[in-house]
Amino acid sequence: MGRWTVLLMTFALLLSPSLGSANPNGVGGGNQDMQCGGACHGDADQNRSSAATVTVEGDTVAYQGLLTSVSVTIEGVETSASGTLGVFLLSSLTGANDLPSDHGWVVLSNSEGEDGNYVERNVPSGTTEQTVTWTLRAPLDTGTYTLHGAIHHGSTNGGQSPYYGQSTTPLTISVVEPPEDLPRLAEDYRPPTSRLLGEDAPLSFQTAFVTEATVEYRLQGGSPVTVQAVSSGEDTWTFDLPVALQPSVVEWRVTLVGEGPDQVTPWFQVRQEAPGWSVDENAAYAQSLALFLTMLAGFLALQHRSARTVQAKHDAFNQLVQGGEE
Amino acid sequence: MVSSNTLHVVSTEVTVGSFAMAGLAFMLAGIASHDLLERRRWLPLADHVGHFALAFGMLAMPVAILTGIASSPGEGVDHPVLINKMFLASTSFGLALGVVLARWRHGRGLWENEWGKRWQSLGGMMAAGLTLLTASLGGTFARGESLLDMLHLPYDQVPLMPVLLSMVLIVAALGNLWVARSEA
Repeated sequence: MGRWTVLLMTFALLLSPSLGSANPNGVGGGNQDMQCGGACHGDADQNRSSAATVTVEGDTVAYQGLLTSVSVTIEGVETSASGTLGVFLLSSLTGANDLPSDHGWVVLSNSEGEDGNYVERNVPSGTTEQTVTWTLRAPLDTGTYTLHGAIHHGSTNGGQSPYYGQSTTPLTISVVEPPEDLPRLAEDYRPPTSRLLGEDAPLSFQTAFVTEATVEYRLQGGSPVTVQAVSSGEDTWTFDLPVALQPSVVEWRVTLVGEGPDQVTPWFQVRQEAPGWSVDENAAYAQSLALFLTMLAGFLALQHRSARTVQAKHDAFNQLVQGGEE
Repeated sequence: MVSSNTLHVVSTEVTVGSFAMAGLAFMLAGIASHDLLERRRWLPLADHVGHFALAFGMLAMPVAILTGIASSPGEGVDHPVLINKMFLASTSFGLALGVVLARWRHGRGLWENEWGKRWQSLGGMMAAGLTLLTASLGGTFARGESLLDMLHLPYDQVPLMPVLLSMVLIVAALGNLWVARSEA
């Protein structure tokens, strides 16, 4: 067997375990189907049933194209030592086309201050209940829709089994046409999901059929504070949120008043965080390659030069010896 | 299933252990080749151990890098410590490959060359030192502390070159390698 074959086989053997690795620390929040990109939690041949109870709750009636909120509550939470719990909001449990967006829903925000149907939480030890809330824009077609909750997690006493759980009863929502003069947020309005620490710019929102707007905001789990939104143009309103000094999630909702019946929006979540660190990754990868090749070529050139100097000395010595003999 | 975190720990231990052994062997080879401490007889053993350990460490290093990227939180390299780890690992890998290829190309006679033996032992020790520094950065990233914190190195500062300068270096290095190969 050639040495290159042995080298390649050794490298392949060293590399092969990483191909079958799991993700006990999760894959991060975002848009994920129930199978979560082929995760073993969604594979019926590999997973185990979670003992947790998953309940999905929300309004049973929503206006087409307008906002509503849905919560998934998990009782009897169990996780692996890392404490990671993955929570899904799904539009079906078939494992295919199960994102809410596949059935016309638009996820605007969730209680982690993100805008995906999948949320990962780090559950503190001893916590047995978790609730995740999503704010959704209802489909533009009227009809009856269902939403489901599902969870992925590990366990400290179940070996390394991937656990999967789902809500036993779906939330059934009737999407109906709104009254024509219903006070509402503008159809294309997307509430912000993040804000930098120290930022003091006012938040704004656009509306339709609204003559007055009152905003309530609160830290998650705290008491709400009420402020009056100020009109800053046609169908545009602004209000001030206090400047955040440390990372947190603040929730706000608005009561819209107009000719039609008053409307209260769902709670919107805004993650307040420090500015992220970023770098030009292409420049970093190019520099890594440059460092690798420069060190390789530089060292080989150095040794080549040393060897040549010695060879030149030997040649000169031999010439001297041969000259003397003649 | 084994998590990428566990695989990263395993592959890192293999890499760091191999490089540490190689570093020690290159130091002994440097001492022996200079006839210091009257230990000339160490040279063949230190020579073989150093180069074999370095080569084995280089096999494990890509696995450590891949599993490290898979186990780091977030997406991509989004922390200055991770970028510095990548730079140090690349530098170390390039130097280690250079040391092994130089030994393969020039043979045992390399240790008879006055400057060649100095570069070889220094190169091996530097590659090992850079890998140990990379591992130390991993400790700083994962646990917030490391044994080498006493050196007060600026881990949070990234010395990033423009892409153009990197490209110039890459082209120059490839040209150098091509010329060296033609001369061989």
